[in-house]
Amino acid sequence: MTQKKLEMKNITKTFHQDKILSELTFHLEKGEIMSIVGPSGSGKTTLLRILAGLEKPSDGKIIMNGKDITKQKANRRSISLVFQQPLLFPHMTVKENIVYGAKVSKKYKEEKVDSLLEAIGMVRFQNHYPSEISGGQQQRVALARAMATEPEVILFDEPFSSLDPSLRQDLRYWVRDFLSSRETTAVFVTHDMEEAMIMGDQIAVFEDGNFQQIGTAETLHKSPANLRVASFLGGHLILNDHEFAPLHDVQVGTKKTVEDGVNFQATVEHITYQHGRPIAHLYVIDLKKKVSLPFDGTFPSREVQVTIPTDSIRTFSGETL
Amino acid sequence: MKLFKNKTFLLFLPAGAFLIIPFYGFLYAVIQSLGGEGFTHYHEILNSERFLSSVWFSIRTAGIATILSIILGLGFTKWFYPLLTHTSHRVMVWIPMLFPHFVWGYMIILLLSETGWMAQAFTAAGWLEDRSNFPVWTRDPQGIGIIITYVWKEVPLVILLLFPVYASIRPEYYALVDSLGGNAWHRFTTVDLPNLLPVLVESFLIIFSFTLAAYEVPALIGTTFPEMISVLGYEWFYGSSWDDRPLAFAAMVLTSLFLLILTLVGYFILSRPRWRAMRGNRP
Repeated sequence: MTQKKLEMKNITKTFHQDKILSELTFHLEKGEIMSIVGPSGSGKTTLLRILAGLEKPSDGKIIMNGKDITKQKANRRSISLVFQQPLLFPHMTVKENIVYGAKVSKKYKEEKVDSLLEAIGMVRFQNHYPSEISGGQQQRVALARAMATEPEVILFDEPFSSLDPSLRQDLRYWVRDFLSSRETTAVFVTHDMEEAMIMGDQIAVFEDGNFQQIGTAETLHKSPANLRVASFLGGHLILNDHEFAPLHDVQVGTKKTVEDGVNFQATVEHITYQHGRPIAHLYVIDLKKKVSLPFDGTFPSREVQVTIPTDSIRTFSGETL
Repeated sequence: MKLFKNKTFLLFLPAGAFLIIPFYGFLYAVIQSLGGEGFTHYHEILNSERFLSSVWFSIRTAGIATILSIILGLGFTKWFYPLLTHTSHRVMVWIPMLFPHFVWGYMIILLLSETGWMAQAFTAAGWLEDRSNFPVWTRDPQGIGIIITYVWKEVPLVILLLFPVYASIRPEYYALVDSLGGNAWHRFTTVDLPNLLPVLVESFLIIFSFTLAAYEVPALIGTTFPEMISVLGYEWFYGSSWDDRPLAFAAMVLTSLFLLILTLVGYFILSRPRWRAMRGNRP
């Protein structure tokens, strides 16, 4: 049986009568990485801060290794947080920053600091000050500093959002491998679905103070629980509150292409390129929805027909877990 | 020279022109202190017990007043800086700065002398048998009156200097120290102190230089022995004997040199790579 490392039970957080988190419940097993993805301002950071002990929940329990830690202070929890910004201490060198994490948590061993420096590829820069290294390097040092405290759970609050796209991509895989190789239990918060899929074994779609669905990338795509999940994923054409069609089944042409299907009028708003393929950005007039999908060939006019075969129309699963 | 080519030197002209006056004063004081007799006067004051005890008394009094002002100002800013964002609260804190030092010293005499308001109030309340039992806190040999006056006057200045720094510290750093396992002491030493250090060093230099060499407060509220260096210098300068004038100049030249060295030490501390990196510069 797998061991539950961290559990959140009915966590609620209200702020000035606004419910930011509403009876959140989830658990993480040892070594598992969960991505929490949701739009900006949805309360993801508040959720992490509550887990880290930096904020108190209004109600509910946090359990770690079977022990209630809801009332435990941040500095007593074996949970580390990597922030959106690296927040390295500017007057300390790379090595001193990592040593600081280890010493403050009373887990200092010189060999550990050396091996962390090696793991993040910063041995050569160990005596540099943060102002002398790049943003990506700074974020790696911040991760090593958090790891130096030997946390049982590590939390990430959009740690790559301030980096440029190519660096972000490299760092995603690097952090993923780093955590997997150490079997670290982690929660990774992001507003980027692609990042969530790369980082997490499980993905939790978070909106309106609650998890709309928790599952693997495949589950979310194959059977989104509801309209919110589907519209956040962006891989479906949402027909109404109950029905959707996967984008790969949607056909675009100048006239209705399938006899047994639903047909909508659309206009081509724009064409961009992604992964070497042209992407048509359409406005489906009847549904009042924008949708982007890859296509081959060209459109003779702006007015097009979007056709969905009847057997491709599915209903939302409604299953959160 | 590059400095002259890019005309940066023009920017220094106003400050340079202004500094001509004190530099001239200093140079003139050096000439007067030598008085054509080499270092005789320096030799004389450095062997004078009156001068040496005055130096010790001055450094001790100014040092205590400065350190107390900084500790109290720092504590006050740390605990109350969220309140200080309101203009009315800030004005209240800064009121003592509006009064001249002389007025503040006079207020301390009214308040804390053996015949002052506090002695009278304590006697009236029956806590003191007689007003003469009130401790000697003004014109006392320990310089307590001087220290109280300066601390009361300089704490608002320290708050004024530290407040913008506190307001600029990103609160995420405190959360970071917490999440790494640190306590309040770690928050203070790793987040507050490194940010405050340049201002603390500057505040120390400003307040210490001022309290060491200012005349009015020790003249009003100090004793005749030991006396602050400024009072001694004044007596030598305006005393009955003209022969003492070069001694006054020598004492002031030595005071200036001491403060100059102290400033240079502060400057070199803040120029170390660690503190340059703190300001975001590449060391």
